[in-house]
Amino acid sequence: MPLAIGSWAPDLMTKWFVYGISIGGLKLKAADPAQFHRGWPGVGFTHSLLFGGVLALLVWRIFDSKIWAISFLIGQWAHALTDTGDTVGTMLFFPWTVHIHLNAWAYAGQTGRLRDGAAYFSGLGGAWDAVWIVYGLFSWRVLTRSYFEQHIYTADRSWSVANRVVSVGALLVVYRAAFFYGTSRWIAWTLWAHAYHHYPYDLSWGGPHWVDTAHSPPLTWPQVAGVVGIVALGLAIALMELGRRRRTRDEREIGFPCECGCREVVKLTKAEYQTVGGAWLEGHKPG
Amino acid sequence: MPSRRQLAVALGYAAASAVYVAIGVWFTDFLLSFFVALVYLLLVAWLVPAGVRRIWRIF
Repeated sequence: MPLAIGSWAPDLMTKWFVYGISIGGLKLKAADPAQFHRGWPGVGFTHSLLFGGVLALLVWRIFDSKIWAISFLIGQWAHALTDTGDTVGTMLFFPWTVHIHLNAWAYAGQTGRLRDGAAYFSGLGGAWDAVWIVYGLFSWRVLTRSYFEQHIYTADRSWSVANRVVSVGALLVVYRAAFFYGTSRWIAWTLWAHAYHHYPYDLSWGGPHWVDTAHSPPLTWPQVAGVVGIVALGLAIALMELGRRRRTRDEREIGFPCECGCREVVKLTKAEYQTVGGAWLEGHKPG
Repeated sequence: MPSRRQLAVALGYAAASAVYVAIGVWFTDFLLSFFVALVYLLLVAWLVPAGVRRIWRIF
């Protein structure tokens, strides 16, 4: 659930204003939907890695659950990263307001919900969704009751809290709902766009080209260098932290059973165990 | 390979998806919200089967 909520977080409170709504005779819509949605000034910071990090920290503090915080972070980062695939992209490294965009599919939010839906499910964006649906179908075991009971329910105490109110059967439906929603929605929009309305497919880069597309300016070479620098710095920090944790783990003493068979415990680090070639107490002979 | 029970469950969800898709193609607003899908799924995949099982046990 926190993974799903994290993945919706960037658009949760804002997408309605991008598409516009009518209340009575009053029409509420952003004057520049792409700027509002992904830019600054605007709410584009919701699609940044920093935003995900800040919210994840808040989730950790408020709910006192590391698994909720990490799950939320992965979901939000997944949304922010995949939205770089279109022609407007995201300000991944906000407060640096440069837009990272790969231009694989057309951003058409300013055309309204229906035309945007038709365009998305006619181009590489919809195809990218299909890749994840297929991956999900091949990973069908994670949707089984036994997997849920053995791995998901036991890993997150919120499921057992919810179990006091509703049955495991209902929790299982909630667990499966996100995949159900994503897959069914993809099928519905695809049928609506191509079987019902006959919008043409255009799987070329940046397509479909029949829709009015919003674009972010291309990155300059200094900006590309900046992005590469940030990514390299992030990777370096991650590798250093990984190395530090590995060293700490290897330097931590572990209890090994004495190999003479006396059932006493010998405390050694992993490195000591490997150096000596076994674990036994002084004066005991290995069996 | 999935068991027969798992296949039966999968077919049930596929049927629920087919109905959801049919409603969504006719009325796209239905596709907008995850929470609408969640309520729909709880209804067709949990409440209705639980109700049918209860009625079946009575008879």
